Amino acid sequence: MSPMFYLYLSAVLFTLGAVGVLLRRNAIVVFMCIELMLNAANLALVTFSRINGNLDGQIIAFFVMVVAAAEVVVGLAVIVAVFRTRRSASVDDVNLLKY
Amino acid sequence: MFSYVPIFALFLLAGGFAVFSIIAGSLTGPKRYNRAKYDAYECGIEPTPQPVGGGRFPVKYYLTAMLFIVFDIEIIFLYPWAVAYADMGVFGLVEMVLFIVTVFIAYVYVWRRGGLEWD
Amino acid sequence: MRLLAAFHAAANPNAIPAPHIEYRAILPMLIVFGVACVGVLVEAFVPRVHRAVTQTVLALAGLVAALVAVVANTGLPRRLVVQSAVAADGPTLFIQGTILALSIGALLLIADRSIGADSDFVAQAADLPGTEQERASVRAGLRQTEVFPLAMFAVAGMMLFPAANDLVLAFVALEVLSLPLYLLAGMARRRRLLSQEAAVKYFLLGAFSSAFFVYGLALVYGYAKSVEYGDIATSLTSSDRGDSLVIVGLALIGISLLFKLSGVPFHWWTPDVYQGAPTPITAFMAAGTKVAAFGALLRVFFVAFGGLAWDWRPVVWGVAIATMVVGAILGVTQTDVKRLLAYSSIAHAGFILTAFAATTRASESSVLFYLVAYGFMNIGAFAIVMLVRDADGEANHLSRWVGLGRRSPLMAGIFALFLLAMAGLPPTSGLWAKVAVFQAAYQGGAGPLVIVGVLASAVTAYYYLRIIVLMFSQEPAVEGPTVVMPGALSAAAIALGVAVTIVLGVVPQTVLDLADKAVPFLR
Repeated sequence: MSPMFYLYLSAVLFTLGAVGVLLRRNAIVVFMCIELMLNAANLALVTFSRINGNLDGQIIAFFVMVVAAAEVVVGLAVIVAVFRTRRSASVDDVNLLKY
Repeated sequence: MFSYVPIFALFLLAGGFAVFSIIAGSLTGPKRYNRAKYDAYECGIEPTPQPVGGGRFPVKYYLTAMLFIVFDIEIIFLYPWAVAYADMGVFGLVEMVLFIVTVFIAYVYVWRRGGLEWD
Repeated sequence: MRLLAAFHAAANPNAIPAPHIEYRAILPMLIVFGVACVGVLVEAFVPRVHRAVTQTVLALAGLVAALVAVVANTGLPRRLVVQSAVAADGPTLFIQGTILALSIGALLLIADRSIGADSDFVAQAADLPGTEQERASVRAGLRQTEVFPLAMFAVAGMMLFPAANDLVLAFVALEVLSLPLYLLAGMARRRRLLSQEAAVKYFLLGAFSSAFFVYGLALVYGYAKSVEYGDIATSLTSSDRGDSLVIVGLALIGISLLFKLSGVPFHWWTPDVYQGAPTPITAFMAAGTKVAAFGALLRVFFVAFGGLAWDWRPVVWGVAIATMVVGAILGVTQTDVKRLLAYSSIAHAGFILTAFAATTRASESSVLFYLVAYGFMNIGAFAIVMLVRDADGEANHLSRWVGLGRRSPLMAGIFALFLLAMAGLPPTSGLWAKVAVFQAAYQGGAGPLVIVGVLASAVTAYYYLRIIVLMFSQEPAVEGPTVVMPGALSAAAIALGVAVTIVLGVVPQTVLDLADKAVPFLR
């Protein structure tokens, strides 16, 4: 069971997340895809920690998880504020600022 | 195969307990019919179907969830320290106290500004 | 403390030795972070009437104290501190000092309540725009004073980002600097729909780019077995892993850093966010985050990935050319002054990127000088934008700026000074900044970049001069906007901007020498 499989999985997850951010319309789903990207990076970090033989990657994964959680709090506050004002969570509807 | 017997025994025990609770409740409890008791419970809001355009959601659920996340993350950092605190000595203790105090400052802010009030 | 550690080590054979922390070297960042935490406590305990004044005094005192600490630290030896996680070298001190000075200017703008009916910040962020509740909050004179601790957290992040010698610390600093700005961008008092839209756009795109940073960090860690810049640099010569791992990692990290400093094609957020955010926050973002992001870019590209310079230089060429061209050309069609200044800041980012063509001392010091000049002229320009108001807030459309020179020659003249500085005309700091950067690029062998830079400067000069002509040559409309006289705080910020722009334009040598002494980066 080579660790390379985990790296392929993390690359696939990252790409899925990035594609989701670009294509999905609901702001919450876009944010979930960003979280997917961050977790793909966590998987890559832990796998590299295993490959490299030191624990740095796992500690870094800790920090990334904590920062992602803080980002969730702030981001959802912003999205909730916009949703309460406009009654719509669609990112296509925030279109007053153009060019 | 024999090593899985305890797991099957646990399944039987759990299933038996659940069935026993329901039968005992229906046999020994009073029977007062109330239509509201048959609705699904969803934390106090009207269950599906939601009205068109999205139902109104009280914002306090969001606030509670966010506060939970922040303090849960603080606990995540407490776990490694709890495992290795003896090896980290006084420096580790002071550092951890400073970290907890910093999160506590955020808690004090939330408490004083009424974020912990449910109504 | 050391005695205790020795005793502890003797008693417990598994004892992990305490890390050695040079508190004096990181004191400026600790001061700002401490002020931010005390600011949160002020929010919790001080009664509402005294909150704004307390927060202003606290924040200003903290920033001045941190600036004094930075100046006092110039005598310390240049080395890596905190177990090689932070680099306490010349460029760190220079950039931290610049960020603190710019933040003092931005804080003066944030604190000013005398322009217009009240400050530019929302009365109560939880109110829905357009409801009776919002009107009641405005009548009650409420003000969301959390902006002060949020701004202080952002300053702390901005100070740590260029100083970090470690990709993880850089990521944490990037998030600490960005998260408060996402919130602050949504807290405008007027035109709240635009402000909330700016906040959600900034947040979604900013979080997207942070995810790229983390994945790049993971790949670089996989290649180099460590995330410290020095270790990455040594591993570039000696690693047995394939090169593609570190090049893709560098590309992802580069994408994230270019997003922060509005490099093309990651610049799309800049005009919308600059236009929607409250103008003091736009000034703060335009000055502070660019300085911090460029400092981090310098450190990451020159120290950590200097060995890959042959690989990243062509890409930086392309990005610099595209950024200058987009900033120059798209700025011509703009009709909103904040959006125009946003495109101009994109163009300036392009000019600074031309200095990345070489990895010499001259390129590092020219970037530092340009950041000082650019930061102060932007703070001053946005401060003047705050003053042009009509009945319902700022009048940002350029058609409303016609003839303002007749109404208020002083303010229009100062704005013209800042526009001339941005165009790079003498006798302002902008001229020497562009000369330094283009010279460094030319010496690095990037002649075509300099040519594109000069042409782009000419195009940006066209739209700057067009505004000056608009302000001075025509009669103002009768019902047009007025130029409000600034309060003491804003006037101080404007005076700071004017002073730095003129002083650096007339006698740039002091700061040029200071920048030259500050580099090179510690490797």
